[in-house]
Amino acid sequence: MDSKKLMNFSLAVGEVMLRNGAETYRVEDTINRILKTSDYKGIESYVTPTGIFATLEDEDRDHMTVIRRVNNRGINLYRIELANAISRDYCNRSISLNDAYDSILKAAHEPAYSKQFIVASIGLAAGLFAIVLGGSLHDAFATLVAGLALGLFQVTMLHLGVSKFFIDLIGSFMTSWVALFFIHAIGLGHSLDLIIISSIMPLVPGVAITNAVRDTIHGDLVSGASRILDAFIVAASITAGVGIALSIFNSLYGGIVL
Amino acid sequence: MMIQVIAAYFVTIFFAIIFNTSKNQLLISGLVGAVGWWGYLMVIHSNYSVITASFVGAFLVSLLANLFSKLRKSPVTIFQIPGIIPLVPGMGMYKTLYAVIEEDYNLVAKHLFETLQIAGSIAVAMMILFSLSTLFDQYVGKKV
Repeated sequence: MDSKKLMNFSLAVGEVMLRNGAETYRVEDTINRILKTSDYKGIESYVTPTGIFATLEDEDRDHMTVIRRVNNRGINLYRIELANAISRDYCNRSISLNDAYDSILKAAHEPAYSKQFIVASIGLAAGLFAIVLGGSLHDAFATLVAGLALGLFQVTMLHLGVSKFFIDLIGSFMTSWVALFFIHAIGLGHSLDLIIISSIMPLVPGVAITNAVRDTIHGDLVSGASRILDAFIVAASITAGVGIALSIFNSLYGGIVL
Repeated sequence: MMIQVIAAYFVTIFFAIIFNTSKNQLLISGLVGAVGWWGYLMVIHSNYSVITASFVGAFLVSLLANLFSKLRKSPVTIFQIPGIIPLVPGMGMYKTLYAVIEEDYNLVAKHLFETLQIAGSIAVAMMILFSLSTLFDQYVGKKV
């Protein structure tokens, strides 16, 4: 058994999962399962949202420890599913190590949907959200436009590699202006708060919070705390964007009607 | 109310697309989100608080997410993350912010506290289901 290749494979799987939004305990569990197929006695892995550490040890052989730094975390549930399937197939011995390694390298760049489709989904998700919260069709239309603008901005900026903080801040600022424009300039839609809330939903850190809770319950306190911090920063930048837009509007045109 | 539930179904699907869920899981993700929102609305219409409603909604979402993850042998996250989205207390966050702009700090405290309670109740619901599913894995089924 090529234990170096096995180690690389397990870290590659772990990295794909961590980068795309899997919970910490699941990444550790997957790495441990893969490493258990080796002939080493001692297996350890330690995962935080920003890095992976894994060790293979044995009495009469050299230890092997590898560290993998992970930045640029996003959400891509398709890749998590692929990584999960590959590691399961490998642990069942239904594919060889070489095949598994090749397919995980491929899975790391697997796109599920095109950019245009994502932009359209962001717009439609926002628009329908207005209806979920009990808004009218007019509200939904205004939100749809705001959502499409947000989606276009977000996808373009992510492609250019702009930081998430900036995207959240400017994105929420922009959508608030679109909402204000619809309500006050065109007169379409009645409820400003509903339009703004629905159109910033695609930015809200639901995933970060969900994973933070799961990590904390599981006892991965370092991961849980850092994910909560992550969620807090995103929430703060969104509210700052909306807040700045509303304050500017307030000072330009006087009191806003909620 | 039916319209809201149907809208929640499609919202969850579109969020699942934004999170790049694969095509064959989309319809199930939508179902998880719609049932969660249905539970939330039912509780709200029976005159219970938003906090109780969020708890029930998150409980249903996590229950179904765990169930489908066992049935379809895929990670829980795939169903849980899009499903929980309609329940996220965006309204509470917004009201807190609005009160900050209006400089009404009594309202800030009220809305902030309510938002934290909602987030907490969602977290507790997820915690309970997570613990139950670990128990289930240990004593009944093989871990997926």
